[in-house]
Amino acid sequence: MKDLLSVEHVSKRYAAHTALDDVSLVIPEGSVYGLLGPNGAGKTTLIRIINRITAPDTGRVLFEGDEIAPEDVRRIGYLPEERGLYKKMKVGEQALFFARLKGLSRREATLRLKQWFEKFGIQSWWDKRVEELSKGMAQKVQFIVTVLHRPRLLIFDEPFSGFDPINANLLKEEILALRDQGATVIFSTHNMSSVEEICDHITLINRSKNILSGRVDDIRRRHGANIFEVAWRGDEEALRRAVAGRCEILEGAEREESVYRTLKLHVADDDQVRSVIAAMNEAVELRSFREIIPSMNDIFIRAVNGTL
Amino acid sequence: MPTSNILLIIQREFNERVRKKSFLLSTLITPFLIIALMAAPAFIMKYSRGEQKRIAVIDDSGLVAPYLESNETVRFETTNLAPDEARKRLSDLFGVLCIGSDILENPNDVRLYANASTSLSLESNITDQIAKILETEKLKAYDIKDLDRILGEVKTTVAMQTFRNDRSQEGDSQAQSSAAATAIGYVLGFILYMFLMIYGSMVMQSVIEEKNSRVLEVMVSSVRPFDLMMGKILGVAAVAVVQILLWGILVMVVGGFVMPRLLPAEALAGVQAMQQGMPDTVSMSGMDPEMLQAVAAMTDLGYMLKIFGCLLLFVVGGYLLYSAMFAAVGSAVDNVQDASQLQMPITLPIILALLMMLAVIEDPNSQLAFWFSIIPFTSPVVMMARIPYDIPWWEILLSLTLLYASFVGMVWLAAKIYRVGIFMYGKKPSLKELAKWMRYKY
Repeated sequence: MKDLLSVEHVSKRYAAHTALDDVSLVIPEGSVYGLLGPNGAGKTTLIRIINRITAPDTGRVLFEGDEIAPEDVRRIGYLPEERGLYKKMKVGEQALFFARLKGLSRREATLRLKQWFEKFGIQSWWDKRVEELSKGMAQKVQFIVTVLHRPRLLIFDEPFSGFDPINANLLKEEILALRDQGATVIFSTHNMSSVEEICDHITLINRSKNILSGRVDDIRRRHGANIFEVAWRGDEEALRRAVAGRCEILEGAEREESVYRTLKLHVADDDQVRSVIAAMNEAVELRSFREIIPSMNDIFIRAVNGTL
Repeated sequence: MPTSNILLIIQREFNERVRKKSFLLSTLITPFLIIALMAAPAFIMKYSRGEQKRIAVIDDSGLVAPYLESNETVRFETTNLAPDEARKRLSDLFGVLCIGSDILENPNDVRLYANASTSLSLESNITDQIAKILETEKLKAYDIKDLDRILGEVKTTVAMQTFRNDRSQEGDSQAQSSAAATAIGYVLGFILYMFLMIYGSMVMQSVIEEKNSRVLEVMVSSVRPFDLMMGKILGVAAVAVVQILLWGILVMVVGGFVMPRLLPAEALAGVQAMQQGMPDTVSMSGMDPEMLQAVAAMTDLGYMLKIFGCLLLFVVGGYLLYSAMFAAVGSAVDNVQDASQLQMPITLPIILALLMMLAVIEDPNSQLAFWFSIIPFTSPVVMMARIPYDIPWWEILLSLTLLYASFVGMVWLAAKIYRVGIFMYGKKPSLKELAKWMRYKY
């Protein structure tokens, strides 16, 4: 997979603090890339640098292999966390204005806008003023404005905040559809469950540094704590004897209503896994044996607290 | 193509304002308001006179009372009562005027006992009348024949017309009326002041609004902050230009086509004579020359074109200079209340200019007038007030050049503050911090 955007050793200092300290990351084309991090970590600064709103002190940003240029901004769509539209302007007129700022002709923009408005079932909003819309309605308009010029790179900062579950889902599907059509998406959020659902890659920024980068699957597997859950039936003493010395039994969770009982094990050495399974299989009736993969939420908290 | 982005922004800012009903209303109503403001003092004087004041006169000399003339504000009534008694009994009158018996030798022996505070005009009315009466009495003592007829003939009033020497050689001896020039100068100076304040703070408010509605963040992902700021400034400037053009057309239509039809024939002849520089004809027409000159100026299309041309250039130049500063202040704050303190360095020179204008209009060719109409911050208001006095072209050009040059410099500085300011929320920055922002690197 080709890389659409790479950030190389970018640092940005403000008078009082360092916003970004030697941050590098590579965003593969056609991926949904999660940009994670606690508040104030430097995510917004990084997004602004990619958008060319501010310039880095050192380092550079490459767009399709070349240093990012002013014209590239037209190939980026940005939905900031703080949404904003001109309140007194009519919805249609405003959407046209933003589309033309991104280089679309009036005709082309009108055509595409009509399609999107139809898709979202909001044709009747065209002549309404933005101040007449609810917050969620305005966000839909803002989403359309962001993606209308079919940018190669889409940057969404907390896109689901303020949406009800139905509309959040609608939006998620639209984002994934855009990715399938070839767009690359940078997705900045605190909401870890949405990261697991839609992100392929992530970068975790904490205190202005990139502390964790990679494919979501790899990261979760890599940071698994080698903990396994076993469901079984039979003699507990026999089981304990079988695995003794090979691994550590963490807890035994009794489930009265079920004929199977569960147990958590810590297998320190990956090579031991097979022998543990074999030994247990001899001793009791094994129903399941699976690795407990940590959630992104756990990884996030542990990484930020420095206990990863 | 950043140019086309600026154009789009200009278009948006312009449409947003011009489509408002308030724009149309203020464009149509303001000229009438200005005329009303100018006419107001006359109306106030006419209708604020109140009732006629009655004054009892005790004239021990017998010389003055018969000649005291009553008018709509005061009525004199001779009485035979003694002063003390009159003061007690005639409390329903405004007052009692006592004139001593040897008033001819001792003209200070005049006393007015008033039941309420008197006005300056009433006092001077009484003293002027008594002085005239006494003068006439004294003249009579010389026993001149036909004195009344001589006095009638001697009585003269003078109304002067002024012409510019340096113009008359070219046969273009346009009559110069300083009264008309003063009035026009005042109006122009105030228009400039109004435009700088109103349109300048319009830019500031609009920046604050964009910041508060967070639309700025979306905008700067598509356009450079500099383009955004310039687009807004120029868009609002276009509104100002349209407004002035509309006013210009309105005034010139009224002055050039409507007024000549409304004026009486002899006044029109006088006006034409004035415009063609034939003072003799003017003085023969028997009309008030000051009045004629004002009308002549109003109906002279060339003169009005020059005035509106300059007005346009100075309004735009002054507006650009100040709006850049207003935009910088707007970017630094979250709401209009916080802006007031930072606005000080902007409003001070405007107010100084207004004060200077009042001084300059008294003597439009003084050193003071010259310098304040050249220095960019005060020049728009002060120069505009001087222009009706027909000042040399090179002064106007110098003033304009400096004004537009300083606008370029100011935009450069303001853009630096703007860039930092639009992303600063929360704490209200001090002027010192604004100065620091200018040195930030982006």
